[in-house]
Amino acid sequence: MAQLGTVAPRTFDEADADALDLTPVRTYWQLARRRFLRNRLAVVGLVVLAMLIVASLVIPAMTGDAWRTALLAKVNAPPEVGVNADGSLAFAPLGYSDIGQNVLARLAKATGTSLSIGFAAVVIIVGLGVSIGSVAGYFGGWVDNVLMRFVDIVLSLPGLFIILALVSFWGGGSIWVIIVAIGITSWTLAARLVRAEFLRLREVDYVHAARALGASPFRIMLRHMLPPAMAPIIVAATLGVADSVVIEAALSFLGFGISQPEASLGNMLTEARTYFFRNPMLVVWPGLVLVAIVMSASFLGDGLRDALDPRQR
Amino acid sequence: MAGYVARRLLQAVPILIGVAVISFSLIYLAPGDPIDRFRTPTIRPEQLQGLIRLYGLDKPLPEQFWSWLTTYVQVWRPEAWGYSFLDGQPVLFKIADRLPATLLLGASALALTVVVAIPLGILAAVRQYSVADRLISSLATIGYAIPSFLLGLYLLFFGGVVLGWFPLFGMESFGREGDPLDIGWHLVLPVTSLAVQQIAGWSRYVRAAMLEVLHQDFVRTAHAKGLPARRVTFKHALRNALIPVITLIGLTIPSLLAGAAITEAIFTWPGVGLMGVDAVAQRDYPVVLAFVMIGGIGVVLGNLLADVAYAVADPRIKLG
Repeated sequence: MAQLGTVAPRTFDEADADALDLTPVRTYWQLARRRFLRNRLAVVGLVVLAMLIVASLVIPAMTGDAWRTALLAKVNAPPEVGVNADGSLAFAPLGYSDIGQNVLARLAKATGTSLSIGFAAVVIIVGLGVSIGSVAGYFGGWVDNVLMRFVDIVLSLPGLFIILALVSFWGGGSIWVIIVAIGITSWTLAARLVRAEFLRLREVDYVHAARALGASPFRIMLRHMLPPAMAPIIVAATLGVADSVVIEAALSFLGFGISQPEASLGNMLTEARTYFFRNPMLVVWPGLVLVAIVMSASFLGDGLRDALDPRQR
Repeated sequence: MAGYVARRLLQAVPILIGVAVISFSLIYLAPGDPIDRFRTPTIRPEQLQGLIRLYGLDKPLPEQFWSWLTTYVQVWRPEAWGYSFLDGQPVLFKIADRLPATLLLGASALALTVVVAIPLGILAAVRQYSVADRLISSLATIGYAIPSFLLGLYLLFFGGVVLGWFPLFGMESFGREGDPLDIGWHLVLPVTSLAVQQIAGWSRYVRAAMLEVLHQDFVRTAHAKGLPARRVTFKHALRNALIPVITLIGLTIPSLLAGAAITEAIFTWPGVGLMGVDAVAQRDYPVVLAFVMIGGIGVVLGNLLADVAYAVADPRIKLG
């Protein structure tokens, strides 16, 4: 028994081990990944998007030209999965359309088109947003003023309508015109987010230090300010994909975007409209894919924001 | 207040000029021109030249822009916004003709949004984490993810074609022009398709604003001094929570106006949006530009309305 005034000898126990915290030091990205994986909806969003991308690559590769070949014998034919008389694969679990195109193959091709347009437009959105936002935020003053007034002007354009006019006047149906039209009208959010981040970062000590050491503005922006500003950029990019996909679908739906034989979620909806009574499911599938893309991108965006920037909840 | 509004309107002028420069050059620099559709094998060259002179397309672009801009501000003259390439009508008259239908559609959608989203947001906040809150939040997530043109298409098929309850197009039935009941009946589907996404966004926003207020000290004090919960919610908390919501009205107007173009095209609603989409298809430049300018004016006025409404609702805010 320990007596008063003496210290009882202690052995190293579990409580001590906990207090020592032997867990390895984790990097920012490891912590972000852990936070992201804990968010179930965000993971579901990522998985659904990945599945859609895989399907849009695999199914057209499997079925060849079926997405645009109009087979007279298969007009409005019911679903089939099997082998054709000539030995080729007949894979049409969603049946055939009014002009005998394989619906599933067409849907997969359309998903691919939509997602490619979404990703390509986001490259422009992020490129413009980051360059304009970072220059405005870093230099401030009149540069910032001029650039932000420019942002105000672009924000005052009636979004979808100006894209409609651009696409129609500058070469309707061309995928590149659609991408550029979406890109040059949708970068304002990214620019504002990057500007806000840069305004904060340029007063941070290590940026002052870099400037004192003689680093050029370009180097400071690229090496010291862009990496910590990545979180809002990644989130804006994710949401930009969803927005761009919706815009493209709306354009093609109104007949200003991609048209037959090319496949797009929007033009599939327009076509399905005309033979709604014979096959109402044709209206459902492209809509379902569209909503799936938008929802998973927004879950993914929310999850990324919480994971990458835990302060901003 | 009047001084502030005047200063804001003055600041809006360069923005609107910027909108004009960008949209004018994007449209007029595009390959091809509106004369293309007259270039038939039988047209005589001098007729073509006459058309080009008539539309002023022979002048250098900056001159075209300048004359366009200077006449554009003279809205008291019918020819200020030019003449439609299609039917030769003054654009201002065409717009004045179509604007009421768009305003009716937009105002109805805004009213529906306010009436549905605010109670839903309050309910979700007051009963945070309850079944009702979860249900409202899930529905808001789904509603936000459905593009309004897709919803419009589905509503048209379900309510118009399958059930046959609602008309498929237009604003009035033949022979019942001007009957408010008939117009209301035509309004149901387009208004719903415009409003659902707004309701989804608004209800989340109201919930967040309400939760923030509910956690403040004065609400706890109100509860502590024994006021009934209803009174605390509606008298004390709601009035404060609605202050940021009021600004949403101004910010929603431009998106309703831009969204109206597609909704009107789907439901053949005879408003400016449908006219704009048709004008794009027909390369009717003056009408296209008019729609872009109306959109820009809508954004400027919407933002101004948001700021003024905020200051009116919250005496702590000083406009400066």
